[in-house]
Amino acid sequence: MNVHIDARVGASHISYLRAKLPHAVLEENWQTPNQVTVTVKLNTLPEAVATLYYGREGWLSVVVCNDERPINDTFGLYYVLSMEGEDRCHVIVHAAVPSSNEEFPSVTPKVPACVWGEREIRDMYGLRPIGLPDERRLVLPDDWPDDLYPLRKDAMDYRLRPPPTSDKENYQFRNDAEGETTVVPLGPLHITSDEPGHFRLFVDGEDIIDADYRMFYVHRGMEKLAETRMGYNEVTFLADRVCGICGYAHSVAYASSIENALGIVVPQRAHAIRSIMLETERLHSHMLNLGLVCQFTGFDSGFMQFFRAREKAMTLAELLTGGRKTYGINLIGGVRRDVLAEQRSRTLALVAELRAEVQRLFEILLATPNFGPRVKGVGILDRKIARDYSPVGPVVRGSGYRRDTRVDHAFAGYGSVDVDINTGDGCDVQSRTMIRAAEIFDSLSLIEQLLDSTPTGPILNEDFVYKPYKFALGFTEAPRGEDIHWSMTGDNQKLYRWRCRASTYANWPVLRYMLRGNTVSDAPLIVGSIDPCYSCCDRMTVVDVRKETSRTIPYKEMERYCRERTDSPLK
Amino acid sequence: MLKLLKEVFRQGDATVKYPFAPYEVEKDFRGRPEHVAENCIACAACTSACPANALSMETDLAAGTRTWSISYGRCIFCARCEEVCPTQAIRLTTDFELAVANKADLTSQAVFKLADCVCCGEPFAPAKEIAYVTALIEANSGTNGASTGAEKSSEAERRRRLLSTCPACKRANDLQQIAQIAHRQEKNR
Amino acid sequence: MKMDTPADIQRMKTSLLTNIRRSAYVYRVDCGGCNGCEIEIFSTITPVFDTERFGIKVVASPRHADILLFTGAVTRAMRMPALRAYEAAPDPKIVVSYGACGCTGGIFHDLYCVWGGTDQIVPVDVYIPGCPPTPPATIYGFAVALGLLEQKLTAKTHIEGEGERVGMAYPELPYNLRVHVEREARRMAGYRQGRDIADRFLGMLTIPGELPLNQRIAALISKEPDPRIAEIFLRLGDTLRGGELSA
Repeated sequence: MNVHIDARVGASHISYLRAKLPHAVLEENWQTPNQVTVTVKLNTLPEAVATLYYGREGWLSVVVCNDERPINDTFGLYYVLSMEGEDRCHVIVHAAVPSSNEEFPSVTPKVPACVWGEREIRDMYGLRPIGLPDERRLVLPDDWPDDLYPLRKDAMDYRLRPPPTSDKENYQFRNDAEGETTVVPLGPLHITSDEPGHFRLFVDGEDIIDADYRMFYVHRGMEKLAETRMGYNEVTFLADRVCGICGYAHSVAYASSIENALGIVVPQRAHAIRSIMLETERLHSHMLNLGLVCQFTGFDSGFMQFFRAREKAMTLAELLTGGRKTYGINLIGGVRRDVLAEQRSRTLALVAELRAEVQRLFEILLATPNFGPRVKGVGILDRKIARDYSPVGPVVRGSGYRRDTRVDHAFAGYGSVDVDINTGDGCDVQSRTMIRAAEIFDSLSLIEQLLDSTPTGPILNEDFVYKPYKFALGFTEAPRGEDIHWSMTGDNQKLYRWRCRASTYANWPVLRYMLRGNTVSDAPLIVGSIDPCYSCCDRMTVVDVRKETSRTIPYKEMERYCRERTDSPLK
Repeated sequence: MLKLLKEVFRQGDATVKYPFAPYEVEKDFRGRPEHVAENCIACAACTSACPANALSMETDLAAGTRTWSISYGRCIFCARCEEVCPTQAIRLTTDFELAVANKADLTSQAVFKLADCVCCGEPFAPAKEIAYVTALIEANSGTNGASTGAEKSSEAERRRRLLSTCPACKRANDLQQIAQIAHRQEKNR
Repeated sequence: MKMDTPADIQRMKTSLLTNIRRSAYVYRVDCGGCNGCEIEIFSTITPVFDTERFGIKVVASPRHADILLFTGAVTRAMRMPALRAYEAAPDPKIVVSYGACGCTGGIFHDLYCVWGGTDQIVPVDVYIPGCPPTPPATIYGFAVALGLLEQKLTAKTHIEGEGERVGMAYPELPYNLRVHVEREARRMAGYRQGRDIADRFLGMLTIPGELPLNQRIAALISKEPDPRIAEIFLRLGDTLRGGELSA
C-alpha cells in the first residue's frame, strides 16, 4: 500500500535507529501510516531490537518467523515492537535468515521478552537462535519427531500425524534456586477448568523458591490450518476459536491485520459494532475472573453471585450475535450482524442492570474481611521484570504501566470514545483485581457511548481486491491484554502466514517471578490473577529436596488450602 | 455478610426451569442449521464456505448422483452456509437439543441426481442446478437481438443445449467451431 | 490405540443407567479445546442453570466420577493424560463427548497435532454437539446421557424426487433488481437481519397496484418505528433509483 509520507507516524524511531546503529538498516517499508517494517542486517538484529525496546519505549508484542524460501530464499524474522512513548506506532524489525545457514543471533540475552518467541521458532522452523539461554521445546509435544518442523512450507502436509512414540513426559523443568527445594508439580489436568498446563513449584517448606511450567498441551496447529485448508475469510471463524473466552478479540485482530494489509476501509458502523462486542466480551471475562478471585479467597457465595450476574453478559452476547461464546460476526471488511432498535434498547437495559448488580457484588466482595489481607502484597510483579518481559493487560497495568492498546493504538471504534486506562501501583493480586473491577464499569459505559453515537451507513465493505504477498499487523485489547496478529496473504485466496499471539502468551513468562517468595497456599490465587483464561492446575506434586521426598497433592486439596489456609498438605 | 444475605434475598430463585419448561433463546440464536433439500440446487456454495468442513458434497459418477451432507457434530454454527446460499435452502434454527447417543444420527444427507451431458451422455452437474440456471437466464435475458418468435425459440434452444453440455464437450465443440471458422476464412481469402 | 468396552462392563453400564438413584458425578477431561466448552460447563453448574439440582456435580478426580466429559479435539500432548483419566475412572462409566471438537474434531478435525475427537481414543456413549454447547444444550445432553430424555435428532436422507425443481424468488421482479436489493441489504445489516429487511422491502414492491415507487417507499418508511431499518429502506430505495441497475 502506498502510504502518504506526511501521514506517517514513527519516522523518528527509524532515524533514532539509523543514528545509533549506522549501517544496520537496509530498508524501511510502511504497511499503514503507523506500521513500519524496517529491515536490518542479521548480525545487528539483537542490537537493533534492544535499541528500540529500551531506547524508544518499545514493548515486544510478538516474534514472527516466516518461511519465505519459495519467495526470496530466506526465512523472515519479524520482531514486532509496540512503541508507546512519543510517536506511538508499531515498528517491526525484520531480518532475513539465508536458507543456506539456518541460524540467527538470539535477541533474548538483550531483551528477555523474546524468549518464548525464539523457542517457538526453533520448534516450528528449526532455526537455531545462537545464544538463546533456554533451548527446551515450547510448543510441540515432547514426542514430536526431531527434525520435523511443522511450519516449514516443504515439511509436511497439515494433516500428517506422526505415530506416538513415547508415553512419557521428558520435559526438563528448570529451577534457579540455590540450595535445597521441594518440587510441586501441578497438572496437566485440573478441576477448575481451562487449558491444561503443567506447573512445577520448587518450594522450601511453605515458601515458593521458583516455578516452571510446561504449557501448550493444547497445541493444535491452527496457524498451519489457516495457511492450508481455509480461505482467508474463513479464518475469522477459526480465530474466534483461538480462545474460548476472548476469541472475538482474536477474530477482530485477525480481520484487521488483513484489512491493514490490503488497505480495506472498514465502515465506521462496523468498527463501532466490533468495539461493542469487544467490550461485551471483556464484561463476561472480567466477571469470570472476579468470581474466581472470590473462590480462591474462600468466598464461594461471591463466586456463585458473580457467575449468576455474568449470565446477563452472556444474554447480551446472544442478543447481539446469536451465540453466547463464539460470536462469529466478523468478515474481512466488516461485520455480519447489525444493531437494530430492538437490540439497542435491550442492550441498554441489560447494561443498566449489570452496572447495579456488579456495584452491589463488588461492595460485598470488598466488605468481606479476609479479602483484602489475602490479595494485598501477594504475587508481586516487580516493575523491572515487567519492563523486561513485556506483559500485557491488567497484569502490566497493575504494576503501574499505562499500557492499553485501545488508547496506545486506537483500533476499531475506540478512536471516537473516551477510554480510561486504569492502573494500580501495588504490583500485586489486589491491584490486578481492582483494575478488572474498574474495567467492568468502563466497559459498560463504553457500550453506552458506542450505542449513543453509532454511525449510520453500511456494516460491510466488499469492494476490495485480494492482493498476493501483502502483510500487516492487526491488534486488539482483549480482556487479558493485547492480542496481536501478523498475517501475510498468499496467491491462492488463502494466507501465506498467520501468526497469532494471545495475550496470555505474553503473561506466562513473568508468572515465575510473581510466584517466587510467596507461600504455596497462594499459588492458585496468583496464577488466577494473571487470568490465564483460568487457573490451570489439577494437582501438585511436592518434591522436598531437603527431605528427599516427593509426593503428589490433589489440586482440590491445594485449592482447599488456598481457601482455608489451615492444615498444610505439605506437612 | 448482611449485604450478601440481602443480595441473596433480592435475587430470589435465579435458576431457569429448563428442562421442565421450554428454554427461550434469542430470536436470532444460531442453532441447528435446517436444510430444505427441496430448495437446494446442490451448487456447493455452502460446502466451500464452511470453515469446519461440516458440510460436504460427494459426487458418485457411476450412480449419477451428488450427495450433500451435514455433520451436526462438526458444525460450528457460524451461519456461513445460510449467508452464501443462493436459494435460501439452509437457515439456522433456534434448535439446541442436539445430543445423541448414536453418532450416525448427527448426519443428515440429501441425494441429488446428476444430469447427463447432451453431447457425450456422461453425468456432469446436478439436474436441479442446470434447470435453475436455465430458468434464471431465460427469465433474465428478455428478447435481446431476436425479433421473431421462431428466432427467439431457436436461441433459447441453443442456450439450453449449451447449459446441458459438460465442460469437456464444450471445449471440444469450441475447438471444432474455431477450426471451422478458420477453415472458412482460409477459403474466403 | 483405542479403548474398548468389554461386554460385562456394558451390562453394568446398562444397569447403572436404569437403577441410578443418586447423584451423578462428572469429571471433565480437557483434551485440548479452546476453553469455550469449559466456560459453558461452568455456566451450567452455577446458579442460573444449576445442574446440582439434578445431582449432577463436577468432581475433582476421575476416581469419583460416573460421567467423564471429554472436551477438545484430543491434541497429541493430551492423548495420554486423557487415556489415563479414562482408566482411572471406575467402571461402569459414561463417556460424554462434548462440543464440536469432542464429537468429531470440529474445525480442527484434520490437523497434524490432533487426534480428531473423543471417539478416536475411547468409546463414547453420548455426543453433545455445539460450538460450544449452551448450558441448556448441556443439560439436555446430560439428560440424554442418563436416559431421562429421548434424543430428538435422527439421521435423515433426502432423495431427490421426480421433477423436483427450485423456483426463483420473487419471479415477478427483475432478477437484477432483486439481487441488487438483497446485496445492499446484506451490506447494511448482515446476512440475517439484512435478509429479513430485504424480504420486507421486496414484498412491498410486489404488492399489486398503481402506486408509484417513490410513494410506496415513503409509505414503508413512515410506518417503520425503527430509525435504523428506516435508514436501510431509504438506502434500498436510493439504490433502485440511483440508476445503478443496468437492467
